[in-house]
Amino acid sequence: MTGDDGMLDGAVLAVILAGALATWLTRVGGPWLIARIRLGPAASAALEATPGAVLVALVAPAALSRPSDALAAALVCLIARRVPMAVAVAVGVAAVVVLRRVM
Amino acid sequence: MTLSSSSPPATVRREFALGAVHALPIVAGAVPFGFLLGSLAAKAGLSPLEMGLMSALVFAGSSQFVAVELWSRDAAGFAVVGSILLVNLRHLLMGATLAPRLEGKPPLRVGAALFLMADEVWALALRRGEALTFGYWFGVGLTLYVAWLASTVAGTLAGALIADPAAWGLDFTFIAVFLCLLAGFWSGAGALPPWLASAVAALSVHALMPGGPWHILAGAVAGGTVAAWRGRALS
Repeated sequence: MTGDDGMLDGAVLAVILAGALATWLTRVGGPWLIARIRLGPAASAALEATPGAVLVALVAPAALSRPSDALAAALVCLIARRVPMAVAVAVGVAAVVVLRRVM
Repeated sequence: MTLSSSSPPATVRREFALGAVHALPIVAGAVPFGFLLGSLAAKAGLSPLEMGLMSALVFAGSSQFVAVELWSRDAAGFAVVGSILLVNLRHLLMGATLAPRLEGKPPLRVGAALFLMADEVWALALRRGEALTFGYWFGVGLTLYVAWLASTVAGTLAGALIADPAAWGLDFTFIAVFLCLLAGFWSGAGALPPWLASAVAALSVHALMPGGPWHILAGAVAGGTVAAWRGRALS
């Protein structure tokens, strides 16, 4: 990824267009599919769990890469549902700066 | 969505205005989020134009964060698109719940309305129940759309000014944001087994192939499999 300000990279544009199409298809696909097939309990449970599983897979290696980051990540998990996201993120970042220095 | 195709313009305008007002608390939450996404995108090398195009065309916050994070690690294009798709698969289920309201409506208008189906738009629309109209839907959706576009582009313009993100712990921002998004998907202890399966699979694959995006796919498949198995057992 090397793009200068105001520039439009062809490869980036291709990913954006493909990502936009994929996203729109997931949005119109629900009503379309439900009229044609009925999802079983297993399939809908898998579909429902996918976004969470993707997010876990994304954070797990980075969050557990060092003890300081794991501790800060645990802190964010504790407060994430109690405070606005901006606050939780700010607290997490502040915590990681301090913890990386002392651990 | 029953009224708007046949209702007078004054009613549509009133419904649109109501939707726009109801969207304001959502906008207040989305703007800092969009600004943060923009500043991270600038770090990943995206230009304000590219960020704006992405927000305008994809318009799905979590998946845009995932895409920007992958870009910051120079992931291949197919991996970025695949991850956007995986994160947005939940839309299939959300859209399915709207199906009864959309039946027999003009396909073009339905396609346009569903383009704006962000999580928050969907949640507000469901809360309207039988009273839901296209006017209300577009009032919520377009208000959030404009705010999202503006805040992500503004963040990209501002983010280009910060020199060394790691020194400020800003590399941790992604982790914190993803954990907050994850907390939003928490639905009680039943959510835990798929997440644990995903973590184990992702960590194992990441240990073997640290560079690629394969740990994300491994986590998604492992989590989905456990959820499917439990879904069948519970039914």
